[in-house]
Amino acid sequence: MGNISVKLFGKTLKNPVMNASGTLGYGKEIEPLWGVETLGCYVTKGLSMKPHHGNPLPRVWEERCGMINSIGLQNIGIERFFEEYFPFFKRKKTPIIVNFFGFTEDEYIICAEMIKPDKQIIALEMNLSCPNIKKGGISFGKEADTVYEIVKKVKAVTKIPLMAKLTPEVKNIVEIAAAAYEAGADGLTLINTIPAAVVDVNKRTVPIKGGLSGPVARSVALRAVYECSKAVPIPVVGVGGIMDTRDAVAFLMAGAQAIQIGTATFIDPYTIPKIIEELREYLDTHGYADFESIIGITHDQ
Amino acid sequence: MVDTEARIIENTKIVPDYFLLKLKPVKDFGKVRPGQFVMLKIPGNEVFLRRPFSIYDYDRGILTVMYKVAGKGTEILSKTGKDTLTSVLGPLGNGFRVGKRDAYLTIAGGIGIAGIHLLIKELKGKASVFFGCSSNIETALLEDIAHLNPMVSTLDGSCGYKGNVVEMLKNHLETIENIDQEIFVCGPEGMLKSLKTSIDRNKISCQALVEERMACGLGLCFGCVKKTIDENEPYKRVCKEGPVFDLWEISL
Repeated sequence: MGNISVKLFGKTLKNPVMNASGTLGYGKEIEPLWGVETLGCYVTKGLSMKPHHGNPLPRVWEERCGMINSIGLQNIGIERFFEEYFPFFKRKKTPIIVNFFGFTEDEYIICAEMIKPDKQIIALEMNLSCPNIKKGGISFGKEADTVYEIVKKVKAVTKIPLMAKLTPEVKNIVEIAAAAYEAGADGLTLINTIPAAVVDVNKRTVPIKGGLSGPVARSVALRAVYECSKAVPIPVVGVGGIMDTRDAVAFLMAGAQAIQIGTATFIDPYTIPKIIEELREYLDTHGYADFESIIGITHDQ
Repeated sequence: MVDTEARIIENTKIVPDYFLLKLKPVKDFGKVRPGQFVMLKIPGNEVFLRRPFSIYDYDRGILTVMYKVAGKGTEILSKTGKDTLTSVLGPLGNGFRVGKRDAYLTIAGGIGIAGIHLLIKELKGKASVFFGCSSNIETALLEDIAHLNPMVSTLDGSCGYKGNVVEMLKNHLETIENIDQEIFVCGPEGMLKSLKTSIDRNKISCQALVEERMACGLGLCFGCVKKTIDENEPYKRVCKEGPVFDLWEISL
């Protein structure tokens, strides 16, 4: 039997499959169908220093082979998450990655300070697609120097491994990845949703703007994973339009140390457990002992 | 809650744009509460997110959904034939809470009857039914409950009371004594707004079944929220905390 566990920041994850932040609620919501302990690691909904209300409607829209969302990062805040939900993950011995965001540099720093190290916390994942309100709402992740500054400042206040989740809407994502690495990031999550818009032709209102996800984003994400994982020597977690085991294996081959599933869960809520099971079969069928021999296999050619 | 394969055993047009869909899910749904809903996979590959539908009825393993063609998903569904296999996830959400009352008033606007029907059925004749629609064409949606003598209002006056259903209800409320009663409503937002200003919250309680565009139906994505009067956490998930809310809790 192949071993589907993978290493991340010195810890062993029982499999390389995580949920994408914000696509599995606070974790408990999926429990009527399957347990969160199935995951290699649970990624929290994006958390902020204070609860955040999120955007007005509409928040979701289906696009051909994709969906656009503008949830607006609605969340209960770091404090309430650790009071109300963290004990549940502790009890289930499920490792977590804490995704967080802010609207100013200070807010990111405060968030990182609020999250205390715990053996259950594998990493922090900072969402760099947030608008920087002090710089006219341009997202933190757009310029290499801004990324360098904020990652360095956050890294200075936490002992937990730090991952930067990058937006694909940049001139050169490899430069951004390199800036995050040089500033001390321990890992990267690639990619966040792609800025997009749709028009409701019945209502004729202003376009509905949001982030595009789903199969339509997959090849954009895979390219970012391939190029960044080749260029920087830190683990990359791949996310974007992974719908099945074949897609998951492609991301691992492109250089991802682990993968995250988002939109696919909305289409089939059992996607995550199915992929985990099939990854096991994949190793056996293809005669690999583990995923370490597949991860980044495309790099040497 | 189960996610199960289901076979379409009937998909009949009631009147133009309105359909009655009967499905036989492989797994049993267990106890279904009026007001709950399902997420149904639209057959084929044209759309991929599942679509939410109120449970019109669940009886002896047969799930019935009444729907109106409103977009691409329901249009494809309306053209889907008998024996097609699909997937259905449910029952989902918090349905109506039915306490002991002297009287139950149910109000449906148009396709809103799809969400109210099971409640009417379970109240076994104890509910008065108020139905509002635009013309006598939509009264065909009442076939299964015709024996309960629903009070009908049409905007064009082609059947029953001429005007909107809230006016009709108001007239009715003026004629009855002050008894312990509760309203259960499902209809368009304009109807809920008008109802909110027409009844006295101190005298009569009211539960409203609302609908919203959804992605997951499970509370995972926070895509289907409804704004409420809760200042700390205004946006509640229609699929998880709803789809039934206290009428005065929601901001309209």
